[in-house]
Amino acid sequence: MNPTTSATFGLLAPEITLVVAALVAFLGAAFAGLRSGWLVALVGIAAALVLSGGQAVDGVAVSGPLAIDGFSTFVRWLVLLLGGLVALVQAGDVFRSAVIREPQPSAATGEEAGVFLLLLAGLSLAGVADDLVLLFAGLELVSIPTALLLALKRTDAQGQEASLKYFFLSLVASSLFLYGVVCLYGIGGSTHLGAISDRLRTTDPGTVVIGAALVPLAVGLTLAGAAFRLAAFPLHFYAPDVYQGTSPGNAALLSTLPKLAGVVVLLRLVGLAIAPPTAPAAGYAATAALDLLWPATAVLAAVSMTIGNVMALRQNNLRRLLACSSIAHAGYLLVGIAAASAAAHAPNGGTGLAGGTLAAIAGGGATLFYLATYAVATIGVFAALTYIGHRWPEWSAAVPRPPREEAASVADLEGLSGTNPVVAFTIALCLLSLAGIPPLPGFWGKLSLAAAALEVDAGGWGPRRLAFVALAVTLVVNAAIAAAYYLRIIAAMYFRSTTRGVQTDGGIGAGVGMVACLALLGFFTLRPQGLFTAARRAGAVVLRGVPATDTAGHHPGAPSSPAGSSAVAALSPVSPSPSAVP
Amino acid sequence: MPPNLPATLLVLVPLLPLLAGLVTIVFGRRLGPRVHMPAVIGIGAATGAALLLLVAAGGTGGGTHEAPRPAETTVTLWQWATIDRAIDPQPGSPAALPGIAVGSTDSGTRPLSLAVTLRLDPLTATMLLVITSIGLLVAIYSIGYMHDDPDQPRFFALVSMFVFSMAMLVASSSFLLVYVFWEAVGACSYLLIGFWFRRPEAARAAKKAFLVNRVGDFGLAIAVFLLWLTYGTLDFHDVRATDGTILPGILGQTRLADAGGFVGGTVGTLICLCLLLAASGKSAQVPLHVWLPDAMEGPTPASALIHAATMVTAGVYLVARCAPLFVVSPGALAVVSLVGATTALVAALIGTVQTDLKRVLAYSTISQLGYMFASLGTGTLAGFTAAIFHLVTHACFKALLFLGAGSVMHAMGGVIDMRRFGGLRAVMPITAATFFVGSLALAGVPPFAGFFSKDEILAALHARGWPDAHGGVHHDHEPAAGAPAAVRTARLVPSTAAPVVPAAWRSTAPAATPQAVGPLDWLAGAGLYRGLFWMSLITAGLTAFYTFRAVFMTFTGPLRLPPEAAHAHGGHGPDDAHGTHGHGQRGHESHGHASAPNAHGHTAAAVDAAASHESPPVMTRPLVILAGASLVIGWLLFATHGLGGFLAATPSLTAPAVVATRVPPAFHLDLAIQGTLAAAIGIALAAIGHLGRRSDAPSLERFLGPLQTLFARRFFFDEIEHAVVVRPLESLAWFAALVDRVVIDGLVDAVARVPAALGDIVRRGQAGVLQRYSLAGVAGVLAVLLALAWQLWQ
Repeated sequence: MNPTTSATFGLLAPEITLVVAALVAFLGAAFAGLRSGWLVALVGIAAALVLSGGQAVDGVAVSGPLAIDGFSTFVRWLVLLLGGLVALVQAGDVFRSAVIREPQPSAATGEEAGVFLLLLAGLSLAGVADDLVLLFAGLELVSIPTALLLALKRTDAQGQEASLKYFFLSLVASSLFLYGVVCLYGIGGSTHLGAISDRLRTTDPGTVVIGAALVPLAVGLTLAGAAFRLAAFPLHFYAPDVYQGTSPGNAALLSTLPKLAGVVVLLRLVGLAIAPPTAPAAGYAATAALDLLWPATAVLAAVSMTIGNVMALRQNNLRRLLACSSIAHAGYLLVGIAAASAAAHAPNGGTGLAGGTLAAIAGGGATLFYLATYAVATIGVFAALTYIGHRWPEWSAAVPRPPREEAASVADLEGLSGTNPVVAFTIALCLLSLAGIPPLPGFWGKLSLAAAALEVDAGGWGPRRLAFVALAVTLVVNAAIAAAYYLRIIAAMYFRSTTRGVQTDGGIGAGVGMVACLALLGFFTLRPQGLFTAARRAGAVVLRGVPATDTAGHHPGAPSSPAGSSAVAALSPVSPSPSAVP
Repeated sequence: MPPNLPATLLVLVPLLPLLAGLVTIVFGRRLGPRVHMPAVIGIGAATGAALLLLVAAGGTGGGTHEAPRPAETTVTLWQWATIDRAIDPQPGSPAALPGIAVGSTDSGTRPLSLAVTLRLDPLTATMLLVITSIGLLVAIYSIGYMHDDPDQPRFFALVSMFVFSMAMLVASSSFLLVYVFWEAVGACSYLLIGFWFRRPEAARAAKKAFLVNRVGDFGLAIAVFLLWLTYGTLDFHDVRATDGTILPGILGQTRLADAGGFVGGTVGTLICLCLLLAASGKSAQVPLHVWLPDAMEGPTPASALIHAATMVTAGVYLVARCAPLFVVSPGALAVVSLVGATTALVAALIGTVQTDLKRVLAYSTISQLGYMFASLGTGTLAGFTAAIFHLVTHACFKALLFLGAGSVMHAMGGVIDMRRFGGLRAVMPITAATFFVGSLALAGVPPFAGFFSKDEILAALHARGWPDAHGGVHHDHEPAAGAPAAVRTARLVPSTAAPVVPAAWRSTAPAATPQAVGPLDWLAGAGLYRGLFWMSLITAGLTAFYTFRAVFMTFTGPLRLPPEAAHAHGGHGPDDAHGTHGHGQRGHESHGHASAPNAHGHTAAAVDAAASHESPPVMTRPLVILAGASLVIGWLLFATHGLGGFLAATPSLTAPAVVATRVPPAFHLDLAIQGTLAAAIGIALAAIGHLGRRSDAPSLERFLGPLQTLFARRFFFDEIEHAVVVRPLESLAWFAALVDRVVIDGLVDAVARVPAALGDIVRRGQAGVLQRYSLAGVAGVLAVLLALAWQLWQ
């Protein structure tokens, strides 16, 4: 392990920027009367994006507990992009109040924005962590600010209840995960991921015994920690209650950023057990870990998506419905992890870049790609819900000023296509993408997940292949079930007439975020290839498919993409050569 | 021309109408009276670009005039998606052509590469020019025709989007994109047929067109799947990978150069029949033609553009594009010809008794498209180019006739029943003259456009029916389907040498084909084509008859006007006649024309001629332009042999099996005389029956007896299809609904009770919610751990 040096600070510049911005927001709100905390957050995120873009390193830069490689760069970009979108949604009407100098609603924005920035910094740290302690610290820096944000954003009883529930359950999950970390430390004798990986793959008999005893605990408990963040079975219970009890902006946060943390943890875990191409074949403990991980994740995937979708079928509250849907999407994500971990240990596969490793990379890449498309579509829906804001009140003589009611149920969206066509269109497009309707990005995501599952042991018809075919079928059936409740919302917006209408008082920030998500969805519909290549490359790095120095991800086994990159490929008239005619 | 200019222009042709459509959609009513501007400017600029492209696509691709090399340019806009290792072709299958699919170091799997690629070749350039120029004239005409319609923005947006979709359809270089835009033009057609959706007839016609087309689209989908499985790609063109290897496209030059590159036999025939099903749906061939006559419920300019000149020719384009696939399946080709000639005859017979002017034209469109299919089905170079030639001339004169009918309808206040008006040449001289020119072209009277293209179609059919009569010097040693030897010979012969007529055409000679024998190949004998030739000749006579019957009924005889004509000032659409929009009367008042109180259609002399008038110049000028084109285009293209030579460089038409059928262009005097004679007889019969008579007088049809019922009821196609297709489907739907209600709903309800019950259980423990959640979570984790440990100790 390299010692911590000043280079570490250079590598951490984006995260440090986020923390500095958080401090500015905190102190500015407390002492300088800063009202537009979210503006600070957006500026901070933009600065971090610039710094992280300038830092694009080829290969891997290891310094102290950090490893900046293709995977962590992808995660960091995703964190900052999704963070920016969520910040726009969270900003709500803050921009307006910053102009009108309205004292009331922006009172806590400094604290909110600061806490949110810390959350992003923690998530980004978890992505770059090459060390268990930093990984755990990063994850905790996600959990605690999330609970705080839940409490800050909504101060009524429901909001406090949601915040408390989330806090206590995250403590349970964190402690389980910590036990898993301890087991990994027990196996590796070090907190450094590389060292743990080496020990996992060793064939030294003394270490193997310890590994054999600790591997199931380590796998199970780490999985538990990830499952809470993914909102996957069996730690999914909090999601419907917490989503319903908080603001749409917080729900956008909850349904995307922690999921990214969960995926990072699981991919790192799978990566630990995979030998780099240059290293000898995997040892007993590593193969045992993979053999344990894939059935566990496959079962959790199947149960999560089924439970989530079946629960969502009967929901009327939009946030509760989307919470159930997010449980189902956690199940979809786990399909990719299961495929990656199963393919990584092909029973008859050789070392290096065998078909098994390629399939594993396909699984990892599909998971990351799906996560990105899912997150953009989900944030789009929640941005639209934030923008919609409240229903028009029903005025009556008896009540001079009726309380404002949040537009929260499916019925509240009725007739939205007539009153707010852009909002309705955004929601519809995002939901269709979530449902996986071609040619929207969600379709490509589900397709690549199913394809990754079908690539496991594609040669024969062993029990593992049967299991994964069954998993792929479950995924497709669940996608069909999910379409039912997504289409119910779309039908309400497009085929019912409006009763009361909505105020669209969510603020300009949410509107901008909504349009940004719409634009991103449109872009990924027309050009999914770039994101897919990036996700696949990140998956290849974390799953040791390529030497970390070769971030281009171009290896001889991968089919080269056709020459579509050049804008104008004029084929000159080719005369049929005699050799071409048999 | 700079090297990148054709590519840029090729992108602009669809892009400009798309932008026009988007601008119209977004700004719509804010454009006020200038709402037509985006469409006219966008399509106009696209027309200019298409004209330049025609120049760019010219030439013989570096080959000689006799043996042109394929000329194509492809522009890949972006890579839409790549699915790695999507297919693992069997060694030796066409998807893994030996010696071609080199390069991939792994097991030879190929990606499913979906790129948005446009192509430029002579066929595409021809189609693009037809689409954009007719589109431009129709858009200009619509300024007058749709003048008072409150939904003008929707109309112009749809027309722009249609031109975009159609341009993409013919410029796409991949079967997937063709499928996408095949559906897109279908959607535009649906929306335009149902433009006046408040009228139940229009809504019903739109639905019918959509559903009937779905049957054809199903065929296209199956064809695309089969093509993917057979050829391992969906691209037309060859793709050069970054490492320099060539992935051969389905219609790419690599495969075209390879005599065995195309699959015949059962699979090939199946693919071709599925493509034919698709083409039959879009191009209204029997038995899927039933939607087109009803589609006349849409605005007449849309009918002219979509349902006469452009969209309905998509099927012809598809078959011509897939020519190399068809020529290796002679059976499928014979079916194409059979369907085409049957459609031509049946539609012409129905057309002879129609009384609705637009419906006469609709059946005429179906009949002429049938001609094109009959020509395509000959499988010869002359047949393919004749079909495209007829497509071009037909687009001109049929658009002219439709726009003329629209002008009549416009002036008659939405009345289109020929029995209710007559003698209109007195009040609408320009419309009458241009309509007359269009009719001469349609009837095939020399020297109008239709004469030349129809002559070439008849010649192509004749050549298949009587191969010996066409200077057939038989090279018996040469196999039929264009093996490489035949190709080389064909390319080496000087233009004066005798043409090659493959031996397989002679009914006596056994066909020694290297290709697998398809299940329908027994159909493709000379006898069939002889029959089809006679059918086409009879159809030519019938065409002349029904066309001039319409001309005489509408424009000659005593002047008679329907009462609605008095309200027809100001250019509102035919919907007003049905009183649904109700602003027709307003227009009549405000324009201040004195309407004749006695204009009730049966007292011709008393009609106030001022009540009806010629259409405004913005409508008649497109008519004049199209009439001029109908007059010269056939002669021009024929005399120079321009189109045939131009199209010959289309990659699809340079397949060895197609080139082998090349004959030097010739004028077939005997066929021309036969065709002209048929037309003359038809015109004479129409003149006997209708010239100078009142159009509501009893006519020749009364001599037809029971046949008249048969024709008037359209051979009972609607009834038969209703009984054979719709009724069983309805029964099935009823049964399915029953099963759904009783069985499925019961099951779903039972299943739905499970989460509800589960929810009840959870809700019962809601008091201590947090603890229970934690407990459940930890219990779940423990269960996982136990399972893992158990699995490990196994």
